Amino acid sequence: MTDCGCTKAKAELEEFLHNELASDDAADIREHLAGCTDCESELHVGRVLTDAVQRACKEVAPEQLRDQVLFSIRQIQSTH
Amino acid sequence: MGATSVLERPHIVDLAPMTSVDTDPRALFEEQAVPFLDQLYGAALRMTRNPADAQDLVQETFVKAYAAFAQFEQGTNLKAWLYRILTNTFINVYRKKQRDPYQGTTSDLEDWQLGNAESATATGTSSRSAEAEAIDHLPDSAVKDALQSIPEDFRLAVYLADVEGFSYQEIADIMKTPVGTVMSRLHRGRRLLRGLLTEYAEGRGIPVTAKDAPKGSSR
Repeated sequence: MTDCGCTKAKAELEEFLHNELASDDAADIREHLAGCTDCESELHVGRVLTDAVQRACKEVAPEQLRDQVLFSIRQIQSTH
Repeated sequence: MGATSVLERPHIVDLAPMTSVDTDPRALFEEQAVPFLDQLYGAALRMTRNPADAQDLVQETFVKAYAAFAQFEQGTNLKAWLYRILTNTFINVYRKKQRDPYQGTTSDLEDWQLGNAESATATGTSSRSAEAEAIDHLPDSAVKDALQSIPEDFRLAVYLADVEGFSYQEIADIMKTPVGTVMSRLHRGRRLLRGLLTEYAEGRGIPVTAKDAPKGSSR
């Protein structure tokens, strides 16, 4: 665990997942992940978590809200 | 002569709406901002945690955005600009009237919550793959419930990063906090969420840890 790159990789995994790392840092992590099933599995859980949240949070606004928004914008317009 | 006018007419008709969009701020606003309605409503639902308040919040956000639209610099990130207005409006108007005492403050409860949640998450490679499998198959309602139950600042950071794909800097601008704070909220929020989802899966008898996984040693 000390010098195999896991400490650095685990610390930066979330930034890696969110594409926040500079390209050479990301390349280091990618290289480490290719040879480390432990960190790879941690990244996998992270990606699955992101996907699950994305899936669950897809919403469609009620039609009536769209109408209301358009209506109020047009109201504002006509009073100016 | 006749042929030329027939050819040119559709060209002129095509240009007409574009010209009005260029000169009419309302047409421009409707074309550019209103398409974000579904996304903003999704975010508002996660913020207010109920559809009636979410609708009011979105409505108010669009009215404010439209009133301030002249200040929006074309070519910059309109989505981030709208989310800034949404978040401000939520904090100033809606957060105050929410009853849950945990809504705004995160520091008191995060330690024990994190402690509980963390102990539930897997550590070995094989149990992590079981955990990923379990999370992947959870119903959307379980994920939403888990998201609703984590502290608001964490929830918002997770939503903005993982659902909307905003960069850490954009989230910092939207939430008016330093990037370091965004990173810690995201990290803790995701850990909490992961723990809650793993607990939920375990409660449903879905194997998560290595000892429960079927013949886990071969994986």
